Amino acid sequence: MERVIFEGVGKRYGRMWALREFNARFVPGETVSVIGPNGSGKTTMIKCLLGLVHATTGAIRVNGQPVGPDPAYRHQVGYMPQISRFPNELKIGQLIDLMDDLRGHERNRTGGPLVNALGVDAMLDKRLGTLSGGQRQKVSAVLAFRYSPSVLVLDEPTAGLDPISAEIVLDAVRNIKRDGCTVLITSHLMEEVEALADRIAYLQDGTLRFLLPPEEIQAATGHARLSKAIPAMLTNTAKSHVESL
Amino acid sequence: MRITTLARVAALALAASVSGPSVAGTWTVSPDGPLKQLRIAIGSAQPGDTIRVLAGTYPEGTLTVDKPLTLIGVGGPVIDGQQKGDVLLITAPRVTVRGFTIRGTLVSNVNDNAGIKVKEADDARIQDNVVEHCFFAIHAANSRRTVITGNRVLGDPSAPETRQANGIHLWRCSGAEITDNVVQHHRDGIYFEFVTDSHIRRNKSLHNSRYGLHFMFSHRDTYSGNLFQNNGAGVAVMYSKEVDMRHNRFLRNRGASAYGVLLKEINDVTIDSNIFIDNTTAMMVDGCNRAEVKGNTFQGNGWALRLFANAMYCHFEANTFVGNTFDMSTNGNPVYNTFKGNYWDRYKGYDLDRNGTGDVPFRPLSLFAMVNERMPYAVVLSRSLLTGLMDQAERLIPSMTPEGLEDAEPLMKPPHGTRDL
Amino acid sequence: MWKVYKYTLIDLARNKFVGGWMLLLLGISFGLFQLEDQPVKAMLSLSQVLLALVPLVASVFSIVYLYDAMEFTELLAVQPLRRSKILGGQMLALGTALVIGVLAGAGIPLLAFLPDGASLTLLLSALMLTLVFVAIGALIAIRNREKARGVGLGLVVWFLFVLVYDAVLLWVMFAFSDYPIEPWIVPLAALDPIDLGRIMVLLKVDLSAMMGYSGAVYEKFFGNATGILVALAALFAWVAAPSAWAFKAFRRKDF
Repeated sequence: MERVIFEGVGKRYGRMWALREFNARFVPGETVSVIGPNGSGKTTMIKCLLGLVHATTGAIRVNGQPVGPDPAYRHQVGYMPQISRFPNELKIGQLIDLMDDLRGHERNRTGGPLVNALGVDAMLDKRLGTLSGGQRQKVSAVLAFRYSPSVLVLDEPTAGLDPISAEIVLDAVRNIKRDGCTVLITSHLMEEVEALADRIAYLQDGTLRFLLPPEEIQAATGHARLSKAIPAMLTNTAKSHVESL
Repeated sequence: MRITTLARVAALALAASVSGPSVAGTWTVSPDGPLKQLRIAIGSAQPGDTIRVLAGTYPEGTLTVDKPLTLIGVGGPVIDGQQKGDVLLITAPRVTVRGFTIRGTLVSNVNDNAGIKVKEADDARIQDNVVEHCFFAIHAANSRRTVITGNRVLGDPSAPETRQANGIHLWRCSGAEITDNVVQHHRDGIYFEFVTDSHIRRNKSLHNSRYGLHFMFSHRDTYSGNLFQNNGAGVAVMYSKEVDMRHNRFLRNRGASAYGVLLKEINDVTIDSNIFIDNTTAMMVDGCNRAEVKGNTFQGNGWALRLFANAMYCHFEANTFVGNTFDMSTNGNPVYNTFKGNYWDRYKGYDLDRNGTGDVPFRPLSLFAMVNERMPYAVVLSRSLLTGLMDQAERLIPSMTPEGLEDAEPLMKPPHGTRDL
Repeated sequence: MWKVYKYTLIDLARNKFVGGWMLLLLGISFGLFQLEDQPVKAMLSLSQVLLALVPLVASVFSIVYLYDAMEFTELLAVQPLRRSKILGGQMLALGTALVIGVLAGAGIPLLAFLPDGASLTLLLSALMLTLVFVAIGALIAIRNREKARGVGLGLVVWFLFVLVYDAVLLWVMFAFSDYPIEPWIVPLAALDPIDLGRIMVLLKVDLSAMMGYSGAVYEKFFGNATGILVALAALFAWVAAPSAWAFKAFRRKDF
């Protein structure tokens, strides 16, 4: 059974469609890399799934529950935004308490995935306003993995992290995937994409150009490296698109 | 038959009274005594006699006192006029009425029916009575040297205005002394018309539907130490001269046409050391000449002073103006009036030479007050940023307010220090 | 909602601006009461300061705070939590923090130097204006994506309500002075929350003057507590309307 279903999802801002006719199904235990240039609609797609953006057309289901005013489906969802800012005067520990409360989770500041690995447990009494960007990303990562999500959305997860922490987070992705979690991840780093992705979703101008496993892309284009294969794939699909007309 | 009865009663009463060398006789009326009716006692008494009336209720209709007598209530006897007309009508000189409770006048549109009426009778003394729910309460006309003192004049608070008349009403009298009375819930508390050379002291006039004190054509009178509070229209004094008002208090007289004191066509008036608090208009001066207004306190009034352009040679000195919505307003340019050495809480000047008066003049008439004079409903904008800016601009560059209307020596401190009111 | 409220309030409690606002009010209030020899006069000056500053600070601070919290609000919005509870918690926390600022900064000096009905009314009207302008600030912050634009709009709205509206009202009075507009002036003034707050104070300190205007029209209304209660009710409406609009906008907002 599919974990996440997009059916004809579109989002229009004014007269501009940021995302149109997006159809996709994601299954448990798969990791999907969502890539595309800036303004391609990846963020809109992700935010539609998270309920941050209201789709103009179509419907999304997570574990069979509709994405809509009922927030219940979000119990299953974890999210690590690209940029994290938190209330300046709260301590990390208080933030974790708040999130535990909101999730109906027993308070446990020092427990849970990544808390120890990223060294967040040592900073529990630090005020969020005093943290560096990288430290904030670590907190953000902890919160995303914390409630055993069955759908995990990571927006450029390694962008602000030091290499060691980035590796720890990617390891955590592998682990959680093994537990059956569906991971959607946007990234600019092709090595990262290659290493993790079961499928690659490529968006451009609000449209899904392809959603294929890396091996198929490589096979179809004859390029072993994704950084070569993807551009080649795009020209191919463009051709086939023209041919199909 | 009738004569014999009267003679017997008289004999009995005289027998019961004090014996002695006194020329005047004393009669005693009581509900259970032989002399049960005050009417009979008055008829029997000789001029100069005293009639004592013991506690009880005496339904007497209209009682006329037509000879000089002293009527004394003992223990607060009640005389009930039974809605026949006046209750006690005094037509002879030198009558004293003391210690009674009077009620039961007939409300009339034709006659000025009163609880106690003094009619063409000099030297009447009305003292320590309670006049309850009467139409007019104490009424004197064409009488000299009337003394009205220590009475409690209590109108009917539930009566509609059309069935109310004045509490203490004097018409064509002179040399009257009205002191230490309380008047409330009448139309006008104290009303004078053509009353001269009289003194009104230490009275309290409260909750009257029209004026607490109302006088017209009444010259050379003094008003001192009175309290006028919560009257529908405050105090109005009109068409009179040589009026002296001191140490009175004018409080909480509120309404569109309510005044602490309304002066209309008054000449040669002294208004000294009075206190005006919480009135819609504390003092309205309309067509007055030569008013000396000194040492008064104006606090928390809507308009402390409304000085009309037809007022001439009025002088305002050593008054205190604090917390009024408007210190002053006018309908034109009251240029022949002067201000000197008053304390204005709005004054923002300085006193570099430390002589106690500010070095720049104060202009009591604000631009907003002038606007408000044209449009009274603009009052809802008072104390707004807009009107503050308007007044500030006008103060810096005077252009709309009349020139010369200023206090050149505004006090830096209230003249008597800060009064704790 | 109460969880969001609690942690937002913890954050606000340590916010330097909230503390600064309280200290500023304390300074102004104590200064005025020390400077003026009569407490009534100080109270009247303070009322002018409060009626102008409270709306400005409440709206601009709410706008800035909500913009700065936008990423965190986004994070809250992906939690299993209705959006109305997020905004409700944040607005209540802002209202609470600013109300405490006014209570401590102006309330303590007012009640210490002049503990009477007028002081209480002024305080009540300052508190209501705080809530009104928190709601207006929230609405502006939600409906505008850019911070600078939001803050600018907040200033414009404040300026409209504190000055421009009154100027227009005065102009209307002049222009229509030949017509029986008297009964319309108070309802018209009620369309400006700052005017409402000011009229509440007027009904306490300038009742005598107000009774002069009222004549037959508003005598009952002004003469007793009704006037203040009606003004209070209108101020509640001024809290409710922008709040309702803000909630609706927040529910539909795309982050």
